Amino acid sequence: MSEITSAEYKKVAVDSIADPVLQSALESLQSRLGPATQNLYQNLPEGQELRKTAHGYRRKAIDNLDILLEALADNVEKNGGTVHFAATDKEAVDICLNIARDHDVKKVVKGKSMVTEEIGLNHALEEAGIDVAETDLGEFIIQLADEKPTHIVAPAIHKTRQQVGKLFSEKLGTPYTEDPPTLTFDARKALREKFLTADMGITGCNLACAETGHITTVSNEGNIRMSTTLPKVHVAFMGMERIVANLEEQQSILRLMSMGAAGQQIGGYVSYIGGPAAENHCDGPQAFHLIIVDNGRSKILADEEFREMLCCIRCGACLNVCPVYGKIGGQAYGSAYSGPVGAVVTPLLFGVNNAADLCTGETLCGACRQACPLEINLPRMLLALRAKLSEGDAKWGVQPKGKSEKLMFEAWQKIIKRRKVYDLFLKIGYVLQKILPAQDGMIRRLPFPFNGWTNNRNLKPLAAKTFMQRWKEREGGKQ
Amino acid sequence: MPGRTEFIQTIGKALGRGAGNAGDADIFTTTASLEQEALLARIKTRSAAERKQLRGVIEQVAGPLHIDFHPEDNLDDIAGAIGRLILEKDPEWGTEKSVVRWDHPLLSRLHLESLAELDGVTLHTTDCVSGGQGAKVSAAAQRSAIRENVEASFIGITSADYLAAATATLVMRSRPGHARSASLVPSIHIVVIEEEKLLANLEELYTLLKWDPEEQAQGLTNCLSLISGPSKTGDIELVMVHGAHGPRELHLFIVKGEAP
Repeated sequence: MSEITSAEYKKVAVDSIADPVLQSALESLQSRLGPATQNLYQNLPEGQELRKTAHGYRRKAIDNLDILLEALADNVEKNGGTVHFAATDKEAVDICLNIARDHDVKKVVKGKSMVTEEIGLNHALEEAGIDVAETDLGEFIIQLADEKPTHIVAPAIHKTRQQVGKLFSEKLGTPYTEDPPTLTFDARKALREKFLTADMGITGCNLACAETGHITTVSNEGNIRMSTTLPKVHVAFMGMERIVANLEEQQSILRLMSMGAAGQQIGGYVSYIGGPAAENHCDGPQAFHLIIVDNGRSKILADEEFREMLCCIRCGACLNVCPVYGKIGGQAYGSAYSGPVGAVVTPLLFGVNNAADLCTGETLCGACRQACPLEINLPRMLLALRAKLSEGDAKWGVQPKGKSEKLMFEAWQKIIKRRKVYDLFLKIGYVLQKILPAQDGMIRRLPFPFNGWTNNRNLKPLAAKTFMQRWKEREGGKQ
Repeated sequence: MPGRTEFIQTIGKALGRGAGNAGDADIFTTTASLEQEALLARIKTRSAAERKQLRGVIEQVAGPLHIDFHPEDNLDDIAGAIGRLILEKDPEWGTEKSVVRWDHPLLSRLHLESLAELDGVTLHTTDCVSGGQGAKVSAAAQRSAIRENVEASFIGITSADYLAAATATLVMRSRPGHARSASLVPSIHIVVIEEEKLLANLEELYTLLKWDPEEQAQGLTNCLSLISGPSKTGDIELVMVHGAHGPRELHLFIVKGEAP
């Protein structure tokens, strides 16, 4: 994840804003999914209160994570599965490679999983000579194109049907078409072969249930059911926070997640998987391995300020309303986690300084919190990250920004506290601004160090009279 | 389990475990609330008229979910309708017509094998225990035979444990004779379920799974699937397409309850 840099963020953001195809794709996504999700929240039979209640369930699970993970592990083992605990990305990858070796695995089919993106699993499997096929249609498209997902739920949202048509005709050798049903059928055909011949299925886990000892997987395409039913081995990866205690809690959360993810009452396929197929059952995998991954999550858990972030169920609802994601798209965020969720999670997992632009780039408008099925307070955490960037933080290893910005704001504070100084400042500004380049009554460029502000926008000049002056005049000269 | 102890310890440390902070004692719910008890009672005492109403709900939600809901409600008519579907529909991957079904009493009562019009069609059953009297076939050989039959079939016929009306959600558990792949690999999935198995919504389903003594004894098994409609995707420009990887069509028949 070394590619997360300020320069890269800015470059990709600028390119994305200038790309009319991407802009129309993002607009279409946000105009459809955002309102659909809100509409479902408003018609919840339990009322909107359910979102607060579900937040409470998640928070309680996180506060009791050690107890829940022990219960889950015991129950899965009782059902004949094997549970592995991986402290780091490397450990998680190695565990999976060992399982593949033990079972002489040559071909893997994968369901969409954010945590495997996070730990770079595909690359490691390919290095080991194993054929890996992403089977979610969106993931399949970006795997063929050798790109990264740009949306948590709709990974290939940045691709047009024409681009997919061209890609398929080049890589799959199918006749060019730009008809989505035909393209879907072409992928269906190519992947059916993969499903029927794979010897390992790899999936993520949407939300495990501790009391029963099951992971759940949710999909609409059926690719995850294929991956967990046909190959002889099933390996599931889960971020350690993706768990609740009880079935009844899971019911509310899975429904809310489906609303946030795809504007649905419930995902088309929800599977509870608790272990390998029983001996007298006709199908299903012979071995089931669950790999529980920390990889920086325990550090988030230990910090009360950010613990709430572990309640997130990665539905992507915040992407569908975020004005920043809606313009710069997912690629600029530099990791598998894009949008507002990425702006908090990526700095915490991959270094706050590296990913500084992610949290300063968001607007703090609060749309993400309103869209979140669990009402997670993302703006609060974005602000907390900004505070760390400004002041520095030893625990998170954050180097503070240069002193200049701070000095400037201190000076500004002194000016605005004194009315007379402030008025004088405005008067001088009013005179000086006349020498700045202007067009149609707008200032086009500010001098250093304020030039960043006018790189992408024009600035309205200071008015001849301040609001206070005009107010007094309107009041008829009353003092 | 290497690493488990350290892993859990790290979490404990992050949570500040120690004296006075041992975690919440009530984290696992062990007794049903009054509301949940009441809901259980309501499910158990549902009248035929109420079930008929649920049937109406399914009829309404089926369309938007792209489910083909069929009006036939007795076994003879349903068998006839399934026979017609088998004849009318074309296989997706080949030319031969094979159909696979669960080894399930309700499906056996359809007597599909005695429909004259299905003469040229091979009917498979995912039957784990048969395989000829005396000649005991190994479990592995049985599995691979079932797998072959499922792959060859263009229609899979199953029943389900429950059907939650509000979201038309079918509930299936893995059991001997009930292949998971029969509802997944064939291009067309046909479900036949008794009206008694209808529930109002997911809340009822989860309340049953959690608190009903019979359900508790059975557990979720190693694989419980909730299926609400055929396979679909919107991954290319958000255009909805049915039949991404799983079945392209889902046909639903509800058998009317016996007259009291």
